[in-house]
Amino acid sequence: MNPANERYIEIDRAVFASACAGLFDQKKLLRAIFASDERELDGRLKVYAVFSPSEGDVFNILTFGLTEEDLSYESVTPLVPAAHWYEREMRDMFGIVPSGHPDLRPLCLHGMYDRTIYTLRRDVTVDEIRKASDLAREDDYHFLDMKGEGVYEIPVGPVHAGVIEPGHFRFSAVGETIYHLDPRLFYTHKGTEKLFESRSFEDGVFLSERISGVASFSHSSAYCMAVERMAGAEITPLATAVRTLLIELERLYNHIGDIGNLCAGTGFAVGYAKGALLKETLMALNERLTGSRYLRDVNVIGGVTRDVFIKTNETQPTLNKVKNEFKEFMDFLQNSVSHIERLEDAGVLPKEIARKMGATGPAARASGIDDDIRKAHPHLMYGSLAFDTKTRRAGDVYCRMMVRADEVESSFSIIESLLEQRHGGGLLVPDYKFTPGSQALGYTEGPRGSIFYWVKSGKDGRPLRVKARSASFCNWPLMPFAINGNIVPDFPLVNKSFNLSYSGCDL
Amino acid sequence: MIKEVLSNLFRKKPALGLDEMPAIPKEAADVAEEAGRLSAIFKRSIRIRQVDAGSCNACEWECTALSNPVYDVQRFGIDFVASPRHADVLLVTGPVSLPMAEALKKTYMATPEPKIVIACGDCAKNGGVYKGAYGVLEGAGNVVPVDGHIPGCPPSPSAIIKGILDVLESAVKT
Repeated sequence: MNPANERYIEIDRAVFASACAGLFDQKKLLRAIFASDERELDGRLKVYAVFSPSEGDVFNILTFGLTEEDLSYESVTPLVPAAHWYEREMRDMFGIVPSGHPDLRPLCLHGMYDRTIYTLRRDVTVDEIRKASDLAREDDYHFLDMKGEGVYEIPVGPVHAGVIEPGHFRFSAVGETIYHLDPRLFYTHKGTEKLFESRSFEDGVFLSERISGVASFSHSSAYCMAVERMAGAEITPLATAVRTLLIELERLYNHIGDIGNLCAGTGFAVGYAKGALLKETLMALNERLTGSRYLRDVNVIGGVTRDVFIKTNETQPTLNKVKNEFKEFMDFLQNSVSHIERLEDAGVLPKEIARKMGATGPAARASGIDDDIRKAHPHLMYGSLAFDTKTRRAGDVYCRMMVRADEVESSFSIIESLLEQRHGGGLLVPDYKFTPGSQALGYTEGPRGSIFYWVKSGKDGRPLRVKARSASFCNWPLMPFAINGNIVPDFPLVNKSFNLSYSGCDL
Repeated sequence: MIKEVLSNLFRKKPALGLDEMPAIPKEAADVAEEAGRLSAIFKRSIRIRQVDAGSCNACEWECTALSNPVYDVQRFGIDFVASPRHADVLLVTGPVSLPMAEALKKTYMATPEPKIVIACGDCAKNGGVYKGAYGVLEGAGNVVPVDGHIPGCPPSPSAIIKGILDVLESAVKT
């Protein structure tokens, strides 16, 4: 039995691309495309494409199977550009070839990997991958290069100047103006999805919390939700409320921290310090509530380990203080003309590109895309809470800041109403079982956008496939579009306005 | 005038309502206590180059937090720098993903002697939660010589400072 809002439709591979395009043209958004090696169940490798509208709680999941004799199919990317990284990922990990894809350079696996070994196939072992990898092997990656008079390249990374994650950026510039950016990521690719398969579903929670440090709670909530839906476990109202509250607390510290960090991008030290102070206050609150500054070790399959509502008397005053100070902080920023002036018209992401390329989260909403998983697919307590999807239209750095500022306000009001209500039930439901060959999606709206997990159990009831799709995987490919025509010194600012996770993307 | 100044200096209740100042958070007091050891151990400032070798980014955010107004470790002479060429300490986080092995080695080579390398967080020790994944080398020690390790996932800001100064202390002694 699949969860009620997941409609799986098995189609012929010949019509897969056009069927995807059909859904995409009906204004349905592409949530994920991924493969799963199910040869041990029915002898086939399967491809799944998940679409859903921004309103109407139904997932249309198109799927088809492939056998080893012929692993190619017609690429979706020419019709649905948002599919391009997903298809490259499937090629790298499973050897499934999307013929007609405009850019089949390797994506996830760098040169030291043996690319004839498809790492996520079930019959490929970790030892085999390790033995075939050679750190001395020369990298054969080709950056897209731009030619012309006065064009020069600026290579940056993987080790950056700041205390941030690793990735390589290749800018092609003329004077100070960037004409093309080719980001090369996956420096932090660890093989996380395969690691899930060697753990039990319960132990996977621990791993999902460590996919992206500052989205630990959103990731583990989406993962737990997927496993619980697959196992038919209904969590208690208390556990539901705890998860909702902590997802919003995570959004708060991320959004406020991100707004503060924009000040670092413009060299506005006072603003940066104020933002950091507010963020730190929230991190300390996280620790008082859960014992972890990153809200770790709260989620477990079947519920949560702590009732954070017993500390409501402590939580409320801290939140009121942060709320008031945040308001002052925003007034202060809005009145700092030299700061705001840098944000306006910088890093514009046009709506059309955001939609075609599958943008998500604040980055999508700042470009006018009305999509928030909390509204589109009401889960946890979001169906009964009053809040709006916050959108802006211009798609520049300023809009991305303001979408976050608006969402901070709505998070505060969501938290307030959660703290006022009483939530019944225990922390955990112990009764659930993993039926072999069952599958389900889990999802939530994290600070950077939608997070999806898809899990499937094997014949032994253990994980056969865990697909993690973070918001950053969707939004990284947007960066070259947003940065074109900007000057090189604005890149850190534009980058901070997206504030994407490398580890969450690279897996 | 002088009388006023003197009476202000010696009055029991401080001016500016200082008695209403919020208590210093415990974590901040711990960071200050640990960082305050630097002058006794080293009598100089230290500069840290942080290298993310495949971390989930939580360790980085804790390092960043050390520079915020609550912890502000710069006032004790501890700072994070942009280039390994300016660093005394390499603080390595993450289990070392394959593509980061060479970058980590090069960063190590670019750091002038004498240098200290510290593995920060459980991943950097032996792979941590990522032990057994195909794409990791299971610890910074498998790529560069490591002088010490800071436990935690992630280590708290005070644990990071304590860990750095403990390694520094033993390095100065030997």
